[in-house]
Amino acid sequence: MLKILIPSMFMLLTTWTSPFKQLWSTILMYSFLVATLSLTWLAMPTDTGWFYINNYMAYDPLSSPLLVLTCWLLPLMIIASQNHLAVEPENRQRTYISLLISLQIFLILAFSATEMIMFYVMFEATLIPTLIIITRWGNQMERLNAGTYFLFYTLAGSLPLLVALLIYHSSMGSLSYLSLTSLPLTCSNLYADKLWWMACLLAFLVKMPLYGVHLWLPKAHVEAPIAGSMVLAAVLLKLGGYGMMRIMIILDPLTKELSYPFIILALWGVIMTGSICLRQTDLKSLIAYSSVSHMGLVAAGILIQTPWGFTGALILMIAHGLTSSALFCLANTNYERTHSRTIILARGLQMVLPLMATWWFLASLANLALPPLPNLMGEIMIITSLFNWSFYTLILTGLGTLITASYSLYMFLLTQRGPIPHHLILLEPSHTREHLLLALHLLPLLLLIAKPELVWGWTA
Amino acid sequence: MHLTPLIMSSSLIIMLITLFLPILSTLSPSPLKAQWALLSVKTAVKLAFFFSLLPLFLFLDQGAETVVSTWNWMNTLAFNITISFKFDLYSCVFIPVALYVTWSILEFASWYMHSDPYMNRFFKYLLIFLMAMIILVTANNLFQLFIGWEGVGIMSFLLIGWWYGRADANTAALQAVVYNRVGDIGLILAMAWIATKMHSWEINQIFILSKDFDVTLPLIGLILAATGKSAQFGLHPWLPSAMEGPTPVSALLHSSTMVVAGIFLLIRLSPMMENNSTALTICLCLGALTTLFTATCALTQNDIKKIVAFSTSSQLGLMMVTIGLNQPQLAFLHICTHAFFKAMLFLCSGSIIHSLNDEQDIRKMGGMHHLAPFTSSCLTIGSLALTGTPFLAGFFSKDAIIEALNSSYLNAWALILTLLATSFTAIYSLRVVYFVTMHHPRFNAFSPINENNTAVINPIKRLAWGSLIAGLLITSNLLPLNTPVMTMHPRLKLAALLVTVLGLITALELASLTSKQFKVYPQQTFHHFSNMLGFYPHIIHRFMPKMNLMLGQAVATQTVDQTWLEKTGPKAICSLNIPMASTVSNVQQGSIKVYLSLFFFTTILALVILLI
Repeated sequence: MLKILIPSMFMLLTTWTSPFKQLWSTILMYSFLVATLSLTWLAMPTDTGWFYINNYMAYDPLSSPLLVLTCWLLPLMIIASQNHLAVEPENRQRTYISLLISLQIFLILAFSATEMIMFYVMFEATLIPTLIIITRWGNQMERLNAGTYFLFYTLAGSLPLLVALLIYHSSMGSLSYLSLTSLPLTCSNLYADKLWWMACLLAFLVKMPLYGVHLWLPKAHVEAPIAGSMVLAAVLLKLGGYGMMRIMIILDPLTKELSYPFIILALWGVIMTGSICLRQTDLKSLIAYSSVSHMGLVAAGILIQTPWGFTGALILMIAHGLTSSALFCLANTNYERTHSRTIILARGLQMVLPLMATWWFLASLANLALPPLPNLMGEIMIITSLFNWSFYTLILTGLGTLITASYSLYMFLLTQRGPIPHHLILLEPSHTREHLLLALHLLPLLLLIAKPELVWGWTA
Repeated sequence: MHLTPLIMSSSLIIMLITLFLPILSTLSPSPLKAQWALLSVKTAVKLAFFFSLLPLFLFLDQGAETVVSTWNWMNTLAFNITISFKFDLYSCVFIPVALYVTWSILEFASWYMHSDPYMNRFFKYLLIFLMAMIILVTANNLFQLFIGWEGVGIMSFLLIGWWYGRADANTAALQAVVYNRVGDIGLILAMAWIATKMHSWEINQIFILSKDFDVTLPLIGLILAATGKSAQFGLHPWLPSAMEGPTPVSALLHSSTMVVAGIFLLIRLSPMMENNSTALTICLCLGALTTLFTATCALTQNDIKKIVAFSTSSQLGLMMVTIGLNQPQLAFLHICTHAFFKAMLFLCSGSIIHSLNDEQDIRKMGGMHHLAPFTSSCLTIGSLALTGTPFLAGFFSKDAIIEALNSSYLNAWALILTLLATSFTAIYSLRVVYFVTMHHPRFNAFSPINENNTAVINPIKRLAWGSLIAGLLITSNLLPLNTPVMTMHPRLKLAALLVTVLGLITALELASLTSKQFKVYPQQTFHHFSNMLGFYPHIIHRFMPKMNLMLGQAVATQTVDQTWLEKTGPKAICSLNIPMASTVSNVQQGSIKVYLSLFFFTTILALVILLI
């Protein structure tokens, strides 16, 4: 674990010591090396259990895909931010990169923590760099509001978790993942126990976000600069799913009935946010709401608590991480050219940027879960496990897939197809950098088709 | 290893590789040559066709069938998904038919699309579509089948929207995907049910295990899937809209291959269905309704492609009826014969449309018999084959279907509907032939009519041969699985022909009436019903999107998100705190009295609380 963590920390040093001329290329190279090295985590020497345990960190099949995703995303964020930071002074560029790197460090620590409190601290620590990225480098005045929403929703959700964890710790004496399974809490059906259950999950449900507490997400996505949107959609939301899967073990006896309303809320959210997507005028907001919709499915898959539900949720988290990040990058390429997020101002782009249209198409297909992309594997596993729980969920999930397909293709058609408006004749051609960025998003997704076990978590 | 399976699997592998190579070559960064489409893609499909004949002959000669399971793709707990191909009666016969039709259509497309700057891309799309279709028919695993299923759907999206500058083409493409997606819900339902109950998506295992379960629910899912893909009643409007695509696309996707995928799914899984009378009855009634409704719509259309599209829909309904009769093999036979003449009808109409300066309205055609004799002869052959004229391709399947229908004890309502649709077939087919080829020309004098091009003549010719002899060839070589009824009453035997002739005579009478108008103000209620497609699109295409978009805006965004969640959550906290904060801060204006009195009262209050 330290093999990756220490180089990540030293990346901060490199950011501030390398000559400005080679700053971006050095950091890019460096982060790619770290990302490549992190791929070794995907190799599981044995079938189950923890690997590379030190006192505080370890990984298991559940956390390794998310760790690799974290490491993979840093170079992509750096590629994506290069253009819009070019106008900023040197020290601000360095600060920005440092923030991204610190985010990676916190995320690695969060995903590889072997202990709940450590996870909690890192979970909260990721808020700081993200908040700074959103409120300092966002584009509009509304970014301050978005930052407030982001911070307060997450904090208000996660403070009860701290209390709940401390209660558990005081009665059990340990919060280590390694011993959680062997320390079942004797839960009676007291009112306080139910509150405790709620407190344990609320933080993660807000982070996911569950429909109902999702308002911060579209705001944060819309206002954040590209790297902020990418990391938010790709990794930060997954902290919620990951945390839920971890804590589900100790919640087991209570979850059975208590989770029902949340499953329904999550599935209902899939449909509602999907319908919102159909009416969006703002490209980034559309992608953000589609994230809420997909994460609703993930939340339902986790709450159903079957092996297939967990596996599907993990696959969908990874696939959605890559897909939505790719979509944000695509939205950003439009934004950098038209300086507007409004969809109808950037139409018919296939004429001007034909290769970009291919990326748009692939990303839209991934978003609507075309087989055999991992997105579909995840969705169908979740749908199956929900179906196993109750037949009627199929109405919600089925409608959800229908609406998802509609808005994904609607987004593709509106931005790429049709005649090109007159104000778009003089567009900057697409850069190799942008193509590389998207290829690095979508190639892993395509390669995962061949060996989906890598992201299957415990059931692989 | 025995020689037969060795030859069989190796020739199939060679066929797949042959098809795959041109797609791989497009990955090279250097731009493709202009001739790539014709040289590489068409040749590959042609070669693949000849390769695919070998397994077919082996199947016919020795009854060789094979299941190739190669690679354990993924497994979770006890659930394995392997890549496995099934080469049985259905795939062995269907693949050569599909390749033969595709070969002709590709050659035709090289003429039809010759002015298109992206012809290579067009051919590539068609080839990828073909691959997806082959994956679909050879899949021995529901997941693999789903890949092909969605693959053909997405390729159809791309191909319908080929002329993406036009809003109509984009709408039609989206419409096709959305309707298909409704069907996909059914397939997902079936897959989820099968995964939970049977723990396997392997088709062979499903057959064995389905004996122990009540499979009505997954079967309804599968029927829903077939309804979406094969444009059965309820989910049919996308098929005529799909005619926005180029004519070769209509010929390949929307007549001969992709739209039969739904029927093929039911045929493939028919052993699951054969003992479930609920599912069979649903199929029967759905098919009968579809075949009559779409035949009715075809009666009054004026766009030549729309007529052919509706006739396709009607034939798909007939196939569904056959499935409902528990005769999947007959339905499969009809798929095969239908592919030839329907593809040919589309190619003929494409040729005519191009000849008449992209005019699609049959009222502005006419007299083509003298100007494009070959095309119009083939159009006539195709129409005759479609109506089931004896000893043409359509006869062998259609007649057998009607016989089976007549001699069954099933729903008489469905029977009557189907017979009525059969006679309608004769009417609209005659109408096409009548308006396009007969009488005097009604188009501009300067039309670039020229069918003397090998890229036009040869494909149509090949398909014409297919329409003439395919039925005979297939029926004389394939043993029917179900015993056909050998004896029946002459009237039952001749029913199909009789209703067809009746339709023909009625149509001729109606045609002669067009020039002798008896009524000054004709009552056109029925005409409007048929011409406006039963008002179905006008109701559904307004109502459903409106509901959903209203849900999205009024309910989801404005009421829930912006009002309830925002006003009662963050904004409420804000508006609660701001007055308090401003009161407290407004009090502090630097006057000592306020501070002192506040200090005083607080101390008193604290003391009181302490003492009490």
